[in-house]
Amino acid sequence: MYPHAWLILILPMLGFIFLSWYGKRVSKTVAGFIGCATIGVAFLITLTLLAGLLISDPAERVGNVQVAYSWLNMQTFHLDLAILVDPLSVFMLLVITGVGFLIHVYSVGYMSEDPEYARFFSYMNFFIFSMSLLVLAADFFFLIVGWAMVGLASYLLIGFWTHKTSAVLAARKAFVMNVIGDVGMVIAAFMIYDHFGSISYAEVFSAAPAKFMANDVDILLITLFLLVGAFAKSAQIPLHTWLPDAMEGPTPVSALIHAATMVTAGVYLIARCNVLYMLAPYTLFLIASVGVLTALFAGAMGMVQYDIKRVIAYSTMSQLGYMFLAVGVGVFSVGMFHLMTHAFFKALLFLGAGSVIHSLHEEQDIRKMGGLARPMPITFATFLIASLALTAFPLTAGFYSKDAIIMHSYFSEYGNFVFWGLALLGAGMTGFYTFRLFFYTFLGKSRSPEAHPHESPWVMVVPLMILAFLSLFAGHLAGWVNEFLAPVFGGHVPHAPHDSIMEATAITVSLLGIVSAIGLYLTGKNQLEFVKTVGAPLYDLMLNKFYIDELYNFFITKPMRVIGKFFEQRAEREGIDFAIDMVGDQVREVSRQISVLQSGKVRWYAFNTVAGLILVLVFVIFL
Amino acid sequence: MGTTFILFLSASIFSIGAIGFLIRKNPLVMFMCVELMLNAVNLVLVAYSKFLQSMDGQVFALIIMTVAAAEVVVGLAIILTIFRTRHELNVDHIDVLKG
Repeated sequence: MYPHAWLILILPMLGFIFLSWYGKRVSKTVAGFIGCATIGVAFLITLTLLAGLLISDPAERVGNVQVAYSWLNMQTFHLDLAILVDPLSVFMLLVITGVGFLIHVYSVGYMSEDPEYARFFSYMNFFIFSMSLLVLAADFFFLIVGWAMVGLASYLLIGFWTHKTSAVLAARKAFVMNVIGDVGMVIAAFMIYDHFGSISYAEVFSAAPAKFMANDVDILLITLFLLVGAFAKSAQIPLHTWLPDAMEGPTPVSALIHAATMVTAGVYLIARCNVLYMLAPYTLFLIASVGVLTALFAGAMGMVQYDIKRVIAYSTMSQLGYMFLAVGVGVFSVGMFHLMTHAFFKALLFLGAGSVIHSLHEEQDIRKMGGLARPMPITFATFLIASLALTAFPLTAGFYSKDAIIMHSYFSEYGNFVFWGLALLGAGMTGFYTFRLFFYTFLGKSRSPEAHPHESPWVMVVPLMILAFLSLFAGHLAGWVNEFLAPVFGGHVPHAPHDSIMEATAITVSLLGIVSAIGLYLTGKNQLEFVKTVGAPLYDLMLNKFYIDELYNFFITKPMRVIGKFFEQRAEREGIDFAIDMVGDQVREVSRQISVLQSGKVRWYAFNTVAGLILVLVFVIFL
Repeated sequence: MGTTFILFLSASIFSIGAIGFLIRKNPLVMFMCVELMLNAVNLVLVAYSKFLQSMDGQVFALIIMTVAAAEVVVGLAIILTIFRTRHELNVDHIDVLKG
């Protein structure tokens, strides 16, 4: 029914292939054009898919599987090369190709000075291809393929500046963390095949409710192993440490991969497998708890960082925590809606930060910024809009999505008062760290007088304005998104009762965060010092990211090193190497002794020949 | 002359060739000894050819002579080159190709 959906995969792939082979030989203009055009056309195709879904009957919107051909056909295992076009995948594609296109356009300006321009765009196209494959997959196999390939794209792009040691190390860290998740996914896929005899979504999800009782051990295990993948990809506690380090990559990469799309794959996964998760309320509870805890911890860490991108990275983790909270309390479409609005305003924040970094010549420390409002008015305005949306300021997009999550965390079937309270606390933190960052960057006096900041070129500013528009007004889509996605989630349209007191509380807490940021960073330096001294132990803890990196280092990396050293010395050097060397030495010694026979003297050889002949004769004649 | 006599003659020539090859140090003489051995074998082949009334033996003898001639060409060329470079011909001193 939607065969042209394949083009969404094919176009970025073609762009990737072309730019990797001919990227060095074409001009920057051509490379940038190809990089953007493939994604732009993919976005247009996604719009036609959306239109196609909207005009079709709601009942026919799910389960449109496009089979290209039968890829594997064994007696007990069947696998098609197929994609699934349904509201959820089209919704994700809109975010991926739409925001992806804007970020590609922005990159044309941001990366213009980079000598490896074409390589950057080829990786970016590869990422869009992989991410589209991830959301379009119609079975767990291609889901995992896409899952692993976005990890690879993330690795390549974090380590894009290969001359920076920190970037290469961060890329490696991200890859290792993601592989932990991949392993979980693969185990889950095996278990699913074991129970259902199939790994296609359609068969698994239709068979699941009859096969399992709620909270069966097997369904809990399957959902938990899937969850390992989701946590690793979406940087949830305890697999979150790679995301702040991933900020070593170019800023458009942070915006596209580490804010708008890839890190939300975990939320997508849970939403996609909602049938399985609804059968496992214990797992849902775990998701919601981890989500809300991540929202809190990440917010706390973000409050004290000084690197502009790291602050936003922690904020991303925190917002991902909210999405997990939403899907954890069973309101999947609300989580997906927050995913969308978050993609808008977080991409906008990152791109705004990139604009600032660009104009200050790669300065990322907010203590050296300040007073940028006047030289960079558009960046300033759009950044302000994004900050307001992030803090869920009334009438911005973030308000509709985040407040819905906070409300549902109490009113949903799986919600409770604790989730609500913690989510509220996290919202207050969001207000604080967002505006702390904003004040540091744009207000006050410039703290590096030698810099001459200037507004970024149009090609970077226009995407900012479009995203700002979306961050302001996308909130009104809330009802539509819930309706549109309902067929995927069993026709369930979440409705939170209006409770003006609770809504007012949520708004007040957010505003309180903003006000405390004003109090500490705009008006009084003395109060700030006072708070830092009073809360010194806590401040220390947050500044050092709760020592989780050190914890992993001490409990995992170090013991691994010791074990590795032991085996290198005892097993490899003294065991394997020794045995092999001994065999070699013995062979050489024996050959050395035998080689005496080869004296090089012709008469000696002749004598041996004749003697041998005589021996043979004697043997033949007399024996 | 019976076949027996020819066989004894051939055996004697072969032994002379073999012993000569073993005890002489001049490559030219050794070469001649090799030829003695080859031709002793030829003699046997021809003798048996007559004895068995078959032409096979004579054909073999011709082939052996052809190969021997070709071999002499190569062998003499090598000996000549060795003499030119080392100014002496003693097989016991030519032992560069040892293991």
